[in-house]
Amino acid sequence: MSDSKHFDQESPQPPKNGLILLQCLIFGLFCVFALRLWYLQVHLGKEFAEKARENQLRQELVYAPRGLIRDREGRLLAVNEPAYALGLVREDCKDVDATLAQVAAWTHIDLDELKRRFARGRKRVKPFNPLILVPDISYDLLAVIETNALFWPGLEIVIRPKRHYPQGAVLSHVLGFVAEANEEELERDPGLYLGDAVGKQGLEFVLEKRLRGKKGLDQYEVDATGRFLAHKVVRAPEAGANIDLSIDLDLQEFAARELEGRSGAVVVLDPDNGQVLALVSNPGYDNNAFVLGLSPEQWQALRDNPRHPLQNRAIQSMYPPGSVWKLLVGACGLSEGVIIPRNTVYCPGTYRLGQRVFRCWKKHGHGNVDFKRSLVESCDVYYYHYGERLGVDRISRYAFDSGFGKLTGIDLPHEKKGLVPTREWKRERFGEPWQGGENLNLAIGQGYTLVTPLQVARFVGALVNGGTLYRPNLLLDAPADAQAELPLSEAHRELIVEAMVATVDDPHGTARRLHRKDARMGGKTGTAQVVKIQGEDRLDTYEMPYSHRDHAWLASFGEKDGRRYVVVVMVEHGGHGGSAGGPMARAIYNHLFGKE
Amino acid sequence: MSPVDRRLFTHMNWSLLGIMVLLFGVGVMNLYSASGFRLEEGMAVNPFYQKQLLWGLMGCGVMVAVLLFDYRHLKTLAWPLFVLTICLLAAVPLWGKTIYGARRWLSFGLFNFQPSELAKISILILGAKILARGQEPMGFKQLAAITAVGLVPAALIVVQPDLGSGLNLLLLLGGIILYRGLTARVLKVLAVAVPALVPMGWFFLHDYQKQRILTFLNPGNDPLGAGYHIIQSQIAIGSGGLWGKGFLSGTQSQLRFLPEKHTDFAVAVFGEEWGFVGMMILLALFCLFLASMFATAKEAKDRFGSFLAAGVFFYFFWQILINMGMVLGLMPVVGIPLPFISYGGSATMVNFCLIGLVLNVSMRRFVFKQT
Repeated sequence: MSDSKHFDQESPQPPKNGLILLQCLIFGLFCVFALRLWYLQVHLGKEFAEKARENQLRQELVYAPRGLIRDREGRLLAVNEPAYALGLVREDCKDVDATLAQVAAWTHIDLDELKRRFARGRKRVKPFNPLILVPDISYDLLAVIETNALFWPGLEIVIRPKRHYPQGAVLSHVLGFVAEANEEELERDPGLYLGDAVGKQGLEFVLEKRLRGKKGLDQYEVDATGRFLAHKVVRAPEAGANIDLSIDLDLQEFAARELEGRSGAVVVLDPDNGQVLALVSNPGYDNNAFVLGLSPEQWQALRDNPRHPLQNRAIQSMYPPGSVWKLLVGACGLSEGVIIPRNTVYCPGTYRLGQRVFRCWKKHGHGNVDFKRSLVESCDVYYYHYGERLGVDRISRYAFDSGFGKLTGIDLPHEKKGLVPTREWKRERFGEPWQGGENLNLAIGQGYTLVTPLQVARFVGALVNGGTLYRPNLLLDAPADAQAELPLSEAHRELIVEAMVATVDDPHGTARRLHRKDARMGGKTGTAQVVKIQGEDRLDTYEMPYSHRDHAWLASFGEKDGRRYVVVVMVEHGGHGGSAGGPMARAIYNHLFGKE
Repeated sequence: MSPVDRRLFTHMNWSLLGIMVLLFGVGVMNLYSASGFRLEEGMAVNPFYQKQLLWGLMGCGVMVAVLLFDYRHLKTLAWPLFVLTICLLAAVPLWGKTIYGARRWLSFGLFNFQPSELAKISILILGAKILARGQEPMGFKQLAAITAVGLVPAALIVVQPDLGSGLNLLLLLGGIILYRGLTARVLKVLAVAVPALVPMGWFFLHDYQKQRILTFLNPGNDPLGAGYHIIQSQIAIGSGGLWGKGFLSGTQSQLRFLPEKHTDFAVAVFGEEWGFVGMMILLALFCLFLASMFATAKEAKDRFGSFLAAGVFFYFFWQILINMGMVLGLMPVVGIPLPFISYGGSATMVNFCLIGLVLNVSMRRFVFKQT
């Protein structure tokens, strides 16, 4: 049967103009490309042949040194040292598998790991440029490889700058570290090349753009056999910017020594501009180890260390503020007109709310307590009394306005906000309404409230400097950044500062250990309970297991010869604030002001 | 079954077949040179030319299969094939495989399949079917209708992202539309509108695509990165001179200065080794290749056949234009291979398949009568 029946007959005529178009296209294609070919191959042929035959261009990147980091006196905190990297030029390598196996034998790096690196590098590195196999090799190995270089064509030693932190753990939480860029970072940032170091933590991470600098470009002329003929600098490398920190290295090292053996943090601020003079978190870690690349065992050990050395306790650990919080509740009560400074509250040692009995830390009570004495002797009952009258809404709003429950904005990554509880927060978190008794715990800094040592330091700084909350600042040349004003009248602020001074100077004051005749000192201690106390009697600190011991706080300021400092000491499970934090803070003031 | 009609063979476009075999031969030989001294892995020769030969043999099988049935059956298959293509394209973002950051492949266990290749074939058949109807030049309405049909698969391909293949598809369809003819009014409007709209397309490009265009305009800007391809390919071709450096003697390609030398820039290897003379012969072969497709389009029995042949013509024409334009530094770098010269498995199969279609049209150009 015929196929034709299945198909509807249409005009057999192909479009006439269409056919003309096809012919024109063929003709045009031929003419354009023939002309271009003649131009490239015949007209310019000799020039191109010249370029190809004699002057093959190869370009190589020149490493730019990363900016140095210095303390406020110009002492070096992060420097560059030469490191010897082992690279492989694929084009010159006769047998990659054998070469990789040899490198594995020399360096004791797993062969599969080397193969992975090689496979990753092939996508990014031109065959005539060295693909970095091992970012840092020892001098001994360097000698071995150089001696054997003849037998392993393609292997090349590349000298690059390597980051070094002379102080190691003392500044690890501030500086952070650089390490080799991972796949994701290479993908995201076209300025990075395989084997480059990039800031991963701390200031190295935050200031990456300023520190990195720009790679230079060198051009080599090589002949057709790959020999180098001439060298020209196309673009000189631009070093990264040097950065001066507000940190005082001596002070930082001194404070770190004071904290040795304890877990905790020390913050020293200049209250008048927010500059951070010391930011210590103990225990620290050796950030140089990260630069070389951590072994899985080293990483495991750091991560599983029960004392969490990677944690920056000054900005990432959140603690109940304990009695330090009374400064804030007192300020709130004064501002709201609820607390009248002269009025007294009688403290019998307990405070009753409904069926519940709340205890003062002083078992037999303080007797009649006015505002000043409430801070000097840290009377709990006084604050139970006013906490009940102020209520959670007013206290938490005041806390937010004073910079708690939000980031301080310091130039470090992964800062924690802390926690200021509100009715809404409690309902969302626990599905229960706010209880009246919780107002009382809130007022003495127990319960849900969590703060970081840096937040406390900033708050005390504002009390001292006339009421301005400055952003804590680590860079020496950055201008002071006033974020907010404390919602507190001048008279009330002075009242609180006076009470802090009395806390040091009064023989009953909880911070009397700070007392010195040649300077005006003020402070407030805090002892934050970690475990709820059951039963009548408190155990002494040394009788309790370590993890049940109270956190010790000491928030203080000192002023001598026109110089003012805020020092906040926080010791995890240190016991009583005055006895654990006091001697440390005193030593720090001795360092700052000289011995009395 | 009736014995095979001898006229099927006498009418077949033998010159097209011959030229194609010649081009393929040149391509394989050139790949032998391009991969001959390949030491990229520092290991033995990587035989791209062998693989290409294998793909060619498989392509021949596909081509013979395409010859076996009357091409007019394709008219009934056009829409179902189109719908299948759309379904496969739509499946890519859901189940596709990501290679080099683009999701273009569907994995069928043993092999990966790029639905955008099938899209080229199915849009060609559907375009030929729709446009072969009617005689008079097309007005706005018809143009809008056919463009809408083409935009669906094109958009699905562009988001993969594969701008090259998406554009290729639209150019292919555009070619068939031009072959059909447009009314003078439409042509006038397009002549004004297209140059006005092109700059707006800039905002839809990815950064790397913008970079390529900027680099094309000033290759010295980024000699190690995007400009590297353009500079090195021109040095390779230009240094070939009048007579070339001889087979297997291209210093640029052998020293691995030339990137992508077995795929997109394969013709640069040829230009370096065979010179202006060789390139002119290759260019002439390509023009004859196109001319013999033109012959089939002209002599086809019906308009559908003619449009099919014209569609295949445009399929190859654009690729030759864009690839050679890129290699010769007349166009920005776009990842489009040169038919039969560049290495590529699925592209080779599709090329053979489409040539099979044109041969099919040419074989059956006599009015079939039952014997």
